[in-house]
Parts: sequence; structure tokens; C-alpha cells
Amino acid sequence: MENYDVIIIGGGINGLTCAAYLGKAGLKTAVIEARGECGAHCDTIEAGIPGYMFNTHAVWMVTPMSPAMKDLELAKYGLEWRTTDYAWGKNFKNGKNSLSGTNPFDTIENWKKHSAKDADLLERALEYFYPNMLDFTELMQKWIYSAPSMDTMNLMSGFIDKYFKAVGVNCSGKQFLNMDGFEIMDILFESEYIKTLAMALGWIAGFNPAHKTIGAMGATILGLLIGPFYPSVVVKGGSHELTHALVQAAIDNGVEIIPNCPVSEIIVEGGEAKGVVLSDRAIYPGLKIMAKKVISNVSLKPTFLDMIGEDKIGHEIAKLVKAYSYDEQNLFTVHYALSGAPQFKSAQFDEGIQRCYMGYFGGDTTAEMKSFANDISRHTKKIHDKIICNYFITTLADPLQAPPGGHTTHVWFDVPPEPVSWKHGKLNGFMDWDVIKEKLADDITDTYESYAPGFKKLIKDRLVYTPLDQFRSNPSAVLGNWAGGSMIPEQFYEKRPIPQIMRGGSRTFLKNLYLSNSIHVASNSTLGSGYIAACEVAEDMGARNQSWWSSQACLWFLENMSDIPLNLGVK
Amino acid sequence: MTDNKSFDVAVIGGGPNGLVCGTYLAKCGLKVVILEARHETGGGLDTFEYAGFRYNPHAIYHMMGEYMPPYSDLNLKENGVKYIYPDIQCSYISKNHKPLIFYRDPEKTAQYISVNFSKTDGDAYRKMYADFSEFSEKILMPLTYVPPVPFIEQAMILNNAADDAGERYNEIAELTPINILSTYRFSDPVKAGILNLFTMWGMPAFELGFLFPLYVYKMTNASIVAGGSHRLSSAIYRAFLQAGGTVMDRAEVVKVITEGGRPVGVLTRDGVVVRAKIIASTCDPHQNFLEFFDKSELPAQVVDSAKKWQWEKETFFGAHFALRKAPVYDENMDANNALITFLGIDNTDELIHHIEDVQSGIVPDVPMGHVTCASIFDPIQAYGDFHTGRWESLAPFDADWEKITPDYTKLCVNEWKKYAPNFDPINIIPYPPTYIEMKNKSMKKGSFKHGAYVPLQMGYLRPNDLCSQGFTPIEGFYVCGASTYPGGMILGAGGYLGANLIADDLGVKKTWKEPEFVTVAKERGFIVDR
Repeated sequence: MENYDVIIIGGGINGLTCAAYLGKAGLKTAVIEARGECGAHCDTIEAGIPGYMFNTHAVWMVTPMSPAMKDLELAKYGLEWRTTDYAWGKNFKNGKNSLSGTNPFDTIENWKKHSAKDADLLERALEYFYPNMLDFTELMQKWIYSAPSMDTMNLMSGFIDKYFKAVGVNCSGKQFLNMDGFEIMDILFESEYIKTLAMALGWIAGFNPAHKTIGAMGATILGLLIGPFYPSVVVKGGSHELTHALVQAAIDNGVEIIPNCPVSEIIVEGGEAKGVVLSDRAIYPGLKIMAKKVISNVSLKPTFLDMIGEDKIGHEIAKLVKAYSYDEQNLFTVHYALSGAPQFKSAQFDEGIQRCYMGYFGGDTTAEMKSFANDISRHTKKIHDKIICNYFITTLADPLQAPPGGHTTHVWFDVPPEPVSWKHGKLNGFMDWDVIKEKLADDITDTYESYAPGFKKLIKDRLVYTPLDQFRSNPSAVLGNWAGGSMIPEQFYEKRPIPQIMRGGSRTFLKNLYLSNSIHVASNSTLGSGYIAACEVAEDMGARNQSWWSSQACLWFLENMSDIPLNLGVK
Repeated sequence: MTDNKSFDVAVIGGGPNGLVCGTYLAKCGLKVVILEARHETGGGLDTFEYAGFRYNPHAIYHMMGEYMPPYSDLNLKENGVKYIYPDIQCSYISKNHKPLIFYRDPEKTAQYISVNFSKTDGDAYRKMYADFSEFSEKILMPLTYVPPVPFIEQAMILNNAADDAGERYNEIAELTPINILSTYRFSDPVKAGILNLFTMWGMPAFELGFLFPLYVYKMTNASIVAGGSHRLSSAIYRAFLQAGGTVMDRAEVVKVITEGGRPVGVLTRDGVVVRAKIIASTCDPHQNFLEFFDKSELPAQVVDSAKKWQWEKETFFGAHFALRKAPVYDENMDANNALITFLGIDNTDELIHHIEDVQSGIVPDVPMGHVTCASIFDPIQAYGDFHTGRWESLAPFDADWEKITPDYTKLCVNEWKKYAPNFDPINIIPYPPTYIEMKNKSMKKGSFKHGAYVPLQMGYLRPNDLCSQGFTPIEGFYVCGASTYPGGMILGAGGYLGANLIADDLGVKKTWKEPEFVTVAKERGFIVDR
């Protein structure tokens, strides 16, 4: 193996995005991946009855808003999107539902059933929004695809200022940024159906409504813009097709992908990263590979504590890294193979719920959501008594993911990763997931049945995936955390992951070491982290100035979203 | 990418044979497309990762490994294919005797057998292994990679060869596997242990003695692919793309389109037409000769042989595990560290009755499992110090598997626990025979070799005497899957032979040479150029 300009440790979708950009910019780049295939958090497996595909991590994709769509021409690698009429829906115990449509007028129709006033606010918001789209795209380019800065925060604040003023909401941008999700929802809306709809959506993207700033942003931006402006789509063929497209794009641009080679060490000499050493489990055990730049697509703790080591980073930094939290954004997942689509009780209220691939049940009121957030917090560490969770029925959007007539569904239930108790008794933390998983999955199944009678009869197969499973699958997912670290105010935006170690969006205090993981909230499938790292590495190598490296956030989506097929799996 | 749907060659099926065939032809500069019904290529080379563990639900033991020509011709080593050959190959665990262990080193095995079973058996093993390794290396392995010759002709060639190994092999080849073992004077449990290396694959105890030496030799020299079986197919896939090939997945071919009696393309289930004048199919005889063409386009004899095609009477019930610890069977650590461990097989008669039961459709209530913990040899396949476990046991296809799988899985778990009381799964994934057919359309009735290994469907007769060399009565339509000579298992042979034939027929320059072992076999007189 020769020397590279750039080595990227970890072939997740951000690492691959970063690699493809750098390869296209002419840098000799290698991606070193521990697993057999890339894309640990954007994966699809056929783990049970053949023909039923389970998406183990990212499912709701926002990738269409990424500049990578145009810059890397991802569509030419067979990457296609699918969705349903409704982008998001919430089922309530009393048989009602609240929905957000891909077409905003469908949203307004549903919201009118709950509150004319709230529907009216949405209508005014959309009327303001449409002519000001470019402001929004500029904001997203700065917020998601650029290194954190006070300027951007001010831009965000200013945007909200103008937006709220235009629609008659008595709240400034500055006030907004100091609120949590519950507070802002109280200001914007009167209906609990609509408040909880918006805050639940923000939450599954990692924006827990209980947190200051984070909660307000998630509930407001996602809650109001999902569908027509903020993409809610799935990948045709399963999430792994995004990974495959990125792999092909990387290879097409000269990147070398090296799978089955976990990295055990980042070589750091004189405060400078120089290369990596492969683990003794790798195809090439113990091999040293040198490079001018090393990017870690592994999250913070394993990068600094396992691969670099305390002696190379100093005691102070090591202390801060050890204190980095991974205990929020941990999911308990249950996958089901079904012989038909679930039939929700709330379809009687608005049958749009049956044309909605992503939904929620439980948490009917703000009080219940608050109680849920409190239970799973690090102060309480309790698995919430009630199953309040979001579900996906991916096959409503993409029938290819099950045999003809069949469907898949899965549920994400937010849990404390190291639970000390649940309704069935005391628990012993992280390792107890192996013990309780089937029982908790049964509880979830019972709850699903209560919102969609007849659900149990449809079940042909089931696969459970706990935070412990997730950690075992990917050491980067400490405590099974899917977000590269807790999304909490102390680890948010310019404070993420640890300000003392960052010298830019991805540059670190160690020369030639960059991070493309744990650096940015809302990275998810925006591919933002990988983009930011690519920008900074390319700048530092004098390769940033490329005519093709020019797209801005959201543009591809706005140009192409009307071509995205709807409801292919809906009967 | 696939906007231009016109190619020189269309390969139907992206399993190992299709991938191999496609890659060789793409390297000749031909424009090749592989059409795969599933969402990904790989076929029987399947691995999925879940919760930190790698599961190989289909092929795991690679009999030919680095020997197969595609390994070197397609630079698979450079594409990340690494074979692991465990020193301890097989262990037979029984309540009735000490562990029977087969090492890669035949002398070590012979001595072990002499000490722990009988000197007669030990000496027999020494002699048998020397003969079988010679027959395999000189004759059977090279013959795998050249087109077949009718049985009688082949026997004559071997008899007349300069090297007398041909004659000696012919003497063995006429006998049944059971009789071969008697000739060497084996007795149970060693006899049953060696016979089982053949019968575990659904091979008959009373026929096909000519293949027996190859299986015994190769099953005591088996390998696994580092990282999981799919690493092999994904490496060939990458080589195919690098050579300019195109893969169309979720593209199930339902018809070959002909004009004037010659293929001009294929039609997929979704109605997509892909044009090519050369079609290489790796599918089974029903697809090839009863579905892809109109009856009138094929000779009655070919249609008839397809209708008479026998599926395999024995298939596998599988169960895949994530384990806290590697199973411990015995205080002899070698017994615990074999690539394959066989549970409860020690008596030839019992073994034969068991197989007959399965063949007549009886689901065994005492399954005879063969198990592997790949992670012992390839730690990356499991999380940390944990392990993967893989159970397979012979079972008939026709049973209500949807109903009985949960209980049958428990039965197999208990059986494994019987021999390894520390057996401790943290995850169980059942894999009944029905899954085999559901996943791979050509493996009908769980026929993982695409069809029974019975004399009328083997060698020059596989799939029939008009098509076993790869060409068919339809000019431009070739067959090179597991239902063509030399058959199934991971050999890298069918696709290789198909590619050679097509390249020769088209007159294109091959970028690869005749394998050295074939040249040597020709010098010895075992292979004759026709």
C-alpha cells in the first residue's frame, strides 16, 4: 500500500462523501473501513425471510438537500428517492391523527380539523416562505454545510426574526434561540395535536424538545417545513443504496476503498498525524499506511482515546474527551416483516395516515412528552412505561423492499442507554439489553397493535436491535449512540464536540488530523460533516477551488422533488 | 450507466459463476452486462452483518480456494480476497467414542487415528490420503477446469495415460464410496466420518465413486474467506466493474429474445429489453430450457431432459448464531477448534438410514448437525471475544417449514447443547430450506447445487449431453451455472469454462493463459486436446 494524500478512517456516508469530494479534487485518497462493506449507519440487511429488507439505521433521508447530489452527480449511480403523500403523521389514542403532507395544502386541510388558528399560521408561514426560499437555502448552506460561527447563529436568529414577524408571532430570533421545544410550541400553536406533531419530528432527528435552543430549532424548522422544503424521503432499494452510490462516486473519482481493515492506531508524532496502523484482525494485520492528512470518520472517544491515546493528547484534553456524553439519541429498534400494511385506527379521522411512510404513536400531550424526556434523561435513566415511538413503513414508499404484497415496518423507541429501571423492575445498565430485548419488543408490538388493530396477525418475522447491538456493530456508536454524541446544549454547534480540541469545523489541535464525525449536529444524512471536512482538507491542500464544487444546499431537491414518485407501495 | 442497453454479452445471474464469466469476458474487451434478479450480486456467496456479527447463510467452505483459476487470473488477492486454511479441519463428536479429528496434515491425522481408534484405520488413512491427494491433484482438480468428456472416453484416456495414476484412479472410480472405504479397510467410526465428508453435501453413498476422492481430499483441505463468503463475490464484482462491466440488479430475466433462431437479447420481468447477441446463463435447466425459450425453439431432447431434471432430495436446515463463547465439546482442545464439527455421526449404517429418511421426505427428529464457528479462525466475524456459530443439517424441502421452524430451531439448539453444554447464543437466526429457494430462484427445492448429483445428471450429462460443454443447440446461447458441468459448490469453474468457450467462439484474445495444472495434466496424458 502506497502513501496517500488523505486517509479517511471509516467508510460511513460522511466519510465516503468527504472521500469522493477529495478524490474528485485530485487528492490521492483511501477510505479504510472496518466492516465488510461501507455505510455502518446507512445499511440494509436481509436478515430473515428473503425479500424482506430491514434498514438498520438511517431511513428518513434528507440527502436530497445536500450539495453532494449535484457536485458528485449522485443520481447517475442509480440513486433514486421515494416517498408518500404524507411525510409525517402522528396517531393519537382517541383515534385522531395530525399529518404533514408532501403537499403543504394537504397539511393545512388536516390541521384545520384541529385548529383553524394553527392551520392559518401555517398558511401564513408558507406564504412568507415561498418567496424567501433563497434566504432559507443560504441559511442551510451556512448552518449545515459550513463550520460553526457566530455569524451563522446571527443569520439564523435574523431569519427567525423576520419569519415570525411576518406571520405575527410575538417572539424574536434571540428569544427563540433561548427556548426549548415545549416553550416555542406553546407560543406558535394552540393545538396539542399540532404541537406534539412538530416536536416529535424534531426529536427523531435528534432535537430533543426538552433542550434549550436544540428543542426550539427542531420543532420549529423541521416541524413547519417538512415535506415541501425539508425532504422526507427514503432511498429506492433501501438505505444501503445511498452508501453504494457514494462508494461508486468515490471509486469513480479515484478513491481506494479498503474494507475489512479496522484501524487500531492513528500514528501521531510531534503533535502531527502521519498515518494509521491496521488492527491484527484486518485483512492486512498490523500494516502501516502513511498519509499527509488523516480524517477520522469515527466518533470522538474512540478516535482520541483508543486510536491516538492519552499520552499523545495530554491529560487535560483526555479528561474532556472522557467526559463527552453519548447517552442521548440511543434507540431501541424492532423490525417486522409483514404480510400486509398496518391499518391505523386513525384512518377513520383522516385516511392520509395510510399514505404516510413515517409516523408516530404515543405522547398525546406536551405533558406526556415532557414526562418521556424526563424519564430517559441521564438523571433518571428509566425506560419510559408507555411506548412512545416513531415507526416507518418504508414499503409504502418503496415496495421493492419486501416481496410482492408484503411490507416491512420498524419502530424507533428512544431509551436511556444504561437503564436502571423499567416498568417491569430494576435494570443493570447497558449489558441488560441482551436480557430484556425480547420482552421490550413484545411491549412495543402490543402498543403497535393498539394503534393499528390486526397488526399482530400480519407479522411474519421480527428482528430486534438494541443500543448494545448497535455498539457491537460499530465501536464509533458508543453506548449505541447514533448521532456521534449526545445532542445537548453543552455539545451543540460551536461547542461540538469539545471546543478546546477544534481549530475549525473539522480541523483539530493535532496537525493534519481532522474529524468528520461528532462535529456537527444535524449532520445525519445531510452529509454535512463529510462536506465540511472535505472543504477544510481541500483548502489546506490548495485544492478547494474547483469549478464543479459549487452547489448549494437544497437546490437539487427544489429542482427535482416533483419527480420523486409517491405512494408506489400504497394499495 | 445502463442507458445504452446494448451489449456484446449478457450474463444471466450474478452469483459466483455469472460474476466469473462476466469478468473474464469483460477483460477481453467485450461489453458485458450481468443481470441479477436480487438487489445485489453474490448468489450463494452471501454474508450479512448484524449487531457486530457476520452471518454466512449459504456457502462457507471453499473447496478450491486459491487453486481456482479466477483467483489468480482476476487478481482477487489484490482485491482483498484472503483465504484461511485451518490446520484442524474436522472433528467428529459423539457420545460413543473419543473425538475423531482430521488435520490438514495427513500424517498427523493418521497418527491420531492410530492412537485413538485403531492402527488399521490409521494406516488406511495414510494410504487413502496418499492415493486421494494424488488422484485429486493430478486428475480430478485439473479436469474440473476443462470441458467434460463422455465417461467411457474419459476412462480410456486415463487408462492410456503415460502416468499410471490414471489406471489406479479408474479402479477406485468404478466402486461406490462405501466399497472404496471397505477396500481401504476402514471401520466405524472412522469409516462413517470419511463417508460423511461426501454425503454431507447430498452426495450418494452408493454412486459417484469417481468424485469421492476429490471430496475427501478437499474437505480435509477446506478454507474460508477472511471477512465472510461475500468478500469473494464482492471482489469479483469489483474486478468486473474495473474491467468495464455493467451490473443490472433487480433485473430478473424471464425470456431470451430470438430472431431467426439466434438470441438478440433478454427481457426482464419489469419489461426492460437488454440487447446482446451472446447470452450466458447461469440459471437452472427449467429456466434455461422451459422458460426462456418457446418450446419450438429447442430440440425435443433438450426440453425433455429439462422436464426430467431431478432436484436435490436433501437440502439444509440452517441456524445462525451470535455466541458468547466458542462451544467446548471435549477436553482435547483440537476437537474444539476444527473448521467443521460434526455432531452425533459415528456409524455408517445409521448415517445411511438417516440420509434415506431425509430423501424420503422425513424431517429428522435427531438432526445430524455440521457446525462451524468461523470467528475462531477469523475474529473479525464476531464482536470482541464473542463468536459466530453456524449450524446446518440435512433436511427434506417438502415440509411445513413456516410452521415447524421455531420448534425445529429449538431442537437443533438442544442438539448442539447436548454436545457442547456451554453453548450460549445471544442471537438466533433460523434459515429453513424454504429460504434457500426464496433467495436464489435457481436453487429450486433448496437445491443449492441446482440439481441432484445422480449419474444421469453428472459429468458429460450435466445438464444433458448436448449442453454440458457450455454451448447449446441455440447458437449464441450458453449455459455455465451449477446445473452445467462441473456442477455446484464454490469451484469458480462453470463461469470460467463458459468464458473460455465464448472467447474462443468469438475469436477474441484472451488475457489469461491455460492454468499450469492443466498443462501438466495434458503432459501426463490425463487431458487430451480435442
